[in-house]
Amino acid sequence: MLRKPLYSLFGVLIVLSLLLAACGTAETPTDAPAEPTAPAEEPMEEEPTEAPVAEEPMEEGPCLIIGALHGGPINDAGYNQAMHESVAAIGENIDCVEIIEAENVPEEAGAITTIENMISEGAGMIIATAFNHQYPALELAGKYPDVIFEHAGGWEMSGNFANFFGEPPEAWYLMGVAAGQMTETDKLGFVAAFPIGWTLTFANAFHLGAQSVNPDVETTVSYTFNWADSAKEADATNALINQGIDVVTMHVDSPATVVSTAESRGAYSVGFQSTHAQEFAPEYWISGTGYTLGDTLTWLAGNVIDGSWEPIFLRCGLWDGCMDMAPFGPRVPQEVQDEVMTVSSALESGELVVFTGPVYDQEGNVVVAEGEVLGPDLMSAVDWLAQGMIGSPQ
Amino acid sequence: MTGLAILGVLSSALFSGASLLYATLGETINQRAGIVNLGLEGVLLISGATGIAVTSLTGNPYLGILAAVIAGGLTNIILAFLVVTRRGNQLASGLALMFFGFGVSALIGRAFVGLKINGLPRIVVPGLSNLPTRYVSLLQFDILIYLAIPVAVFVWWLLFRTRWGLGVRAVGENSDTAFASGRNPHWIKYQALIAGGMLAGLGAAHLTIAYTLNWSEFMTGGRGFIAIALVIFSKWNPIRAIAGALLFSGAVAFQLLLQASGVNVSPFLLDTLPYLLTILVLMLWGGSRKYAAPASLGRVYMGTE
Repeated sequence: MLRKPLYSLFGVLIVLSLLLAACGTAETPTDAPAEPTAPAEEPMEEEPTEAPVAEEPMEEGPCLIIGALHGGPINDAGYNQAMHESVAAIGENIDCVEIIEAENVPEEAGAITTIENMISEGAGMIIATAFNHQYPALELAGKYPDVIFEHAGGWEMSGNFANFFGEPPEAWYLMGVAAGQMTETDKLGFVAAFPIGWTLTFANAFHLGAQSVNPDVETTVSYTFNWADSAKEADATNALINQGIDVVTMHVDSPATVVSTAESRGAYSVGFQSTHAQEFAPEYWISGTGYTLGDTLTWLAGNVIDGSWEPIFLRCGLWDGCMDMAPFGPRVPQEVQDEVMTVSSALESGELVVFTGPVYDQEGNVVVAEGEVLGPDLMSAVDWLAQGMIGSPQ
Repeated sequence: MTGLAILGVLSSALFSGASLLYATLGETINQRAGIVNLGLEGVLLISGATGIAVTSLTGNPYLGILAAVIAGGLTNIILAFLVVTRRGNQLASGLALMFFGFGVSALIGRAFVGLKINGLPRIVVPGLSNLPTRYVSLLQFDILIYLAIPVAVFVWWLLFRTRWGLGVRAVGENSDTAFASGRNPHWIKYQALIAGGMLAGLGAAHLTIAYTLNWSEFMTGGRGFIAIALVIFSKWNPIRAIAGALLFSGAVAFQLLLQASGVNVSPFLLDTLPYLLTILVLMLWGGSRKYAAPASLGRVYMGTE
C-alpha cells in the first residue's frame, strides 16, 4: 500500500520518457528544427500577432503578398535567421511587396493551417523554408493553383511549386583550407546533428579542403541526433576539444552553442548557416559560411509580379551570391587569408573542383573514381566519410 | 592520449552533471516532504529563460543566477498552492506545471534566442595553473561546479542533521504524526517546495549561463525527468545523488568519446540509461524498508481534524 504512489510515479515517468524518446527519434533529419516536444499552442500564439500586421497596409494595395514560414525562431543566429533575412531582403528590394511571416512552425499540420491562413490573407506567393514543409506545401500547391510556392532545399516540382537553395560544398572546402592551416594539433572536429547525405558531404568537403593544405589533418565527426539541443551540442564540443581538437565546426540549426563553447575553451571555430555566428567568438573565430539568398528570392518574387515565373530547380553557390563567407577572425594571419582567396579563385574558375576523383573513404575504398567528379545530384545520397576522418557515416 | 581522454570525460561529466545534480537535489527535498514534482522540467525551463534574460539585460551573470533561483522558487510556489493549499492531485498538477513551463519559458526566452551573453567566469583549480595548457583548459570550472558537491553535502546535512530536515522528513513520512508533534505540514511543504525550486533554478542557471551560454526553446531536453529518475536511483539521498548525476553525465561524455574514436554505441540506448538504472535499483531494493520512499510520497494531506 505504501508503494502505490511510487509505482504510479514511476509508470508516469516511463510513459513520459518513452514519449520524449519517441519524439526525439521520429524527428525527420531536417535543416529546420522539428522541435520534438513543441506544445500545440506555439504556432497558435504566432498567428494572432502576425495577423494585425497583415491587415494594415491592405488599403494601399500591395503588388504581391508573400507568405513566408520558418520551422524555428527567426533570431536563432542560424538557419532560420539566414532564411528570415533572405525573405526580408525581398521587402527591401521591392517596395510594393508585403510580407507575412510566421516563425516556429515545426510540424506539418501547423504548416498547412499557417499557409492556408496566409492565402486567405491574400498571399500570392508562399516561401516555406523548413525541410519538412515541402509536402504540406506541395499538397496545398495542388489545392491553390493560382498561388506560387517556393521551398528551400526541396526536390519536388509542379506547375506552381518549385524550389531554391544555396550550394555550400565549395564554401565548406574553403573553410577547410582555412582550418587546416590554423590547427596546431592537426585535429579538426565537426559536430553534426544526423548522419544524412548533405551533412556528410559538408564534412567531407571541409576535410578535403583542410587536407589539401595539411596532409596530416584528421577530422572527427560527432553526432548529437537532434537539430537543436544546445546542451548536447556543448557536450559534444567539449568532448572533441578534450581529445586535443583545436578547430571545431558544425552542421546543426544554430551555430551559437558550438561556437561559444569553443570560444570558452580557447579553441578555434568555423561557423555555418548564418554569418552572424561570429559574434559568439570574438577571439577564436576563423571564418564561417552562411546562406544569403536575398537576391535570389528578390528575383523570384519579381518574376511572380511580372508574370514570368516558371518552376525551376534553382541551385546557386558562393559566386552567385547565394552563400557568403564571414570575415576572418583577428587571429587568422594574412598568409592563411591569402591562401583561402587563391583557392577560392581556383574553385570559381572551375580549375579546381571539390570532389574530384580519386577520393577514398575511411577504409581506403575508391568512392569517386579517378577522372570523375561527384556531382550535386549525388551529394544528398553520400554515405561515406573521406579517408583521414574519424567517426561513423551512419 | 588516454590519460587526457579520461580526464576529458571527467571534466565533461562535471560540466554537464552539475545542472543535473542541482535539479536532483531540489527534487530530493520536494520528495522528502512527500511531494512529487513532475513539473521539474518546466521549472528548469522557466528558471533558465529568466536567468538568460536577466544576464542578457544586465550583463551580469551573477544577477542572472539570482533571478533563475528566484524564478525556480516562485514557479514551485504555484505547485505548492495547487497540491498543498488546493489539495490537487500531485501528478496531474506536476504535468500541468511542466506544460505551463514549456509555454512560459518560450515566451520569456523569445527575445533572447541567439543572443550572446557574458557567461560565468571560469577559474582554474587552485595550484594547477602551471600544468600544460591542454590540461589547464580541462580543469577550468565555474563557481557553480565547485559548489555542486558542497551543496549536495549541505542538503544532506540539512535533511538529516537539522530540526528543519527532521520536520521535512516527518511530513513526508506521515503528516498526521508530524502535525500531532506540533509541526505545520502545510507550511513545511511550502518551504520544501520553495527550497527545491530554488535548487532547480540554480541547476538551470548553470545549464544556460555557464554551460551552453545561450537560450533555445526546450533546451533542457528532458533533464528534468532524468533528475526525477535520479532521485529514485539515489534512494532520496543527496550524497548518492552526486554519484547518480556524475554516472549519467559521465556515460554521455564517454559515449561521445567512443563516437569520436570510431566506436559506435547507440546514443538512443544511452539516453535510456538513467531510467534503466532506476528500474534496476527499484528491482533490487524496491522492497527494502531501509531504502523505501517517503511513506506519504504523492499523497494529498487533507489536514488533521
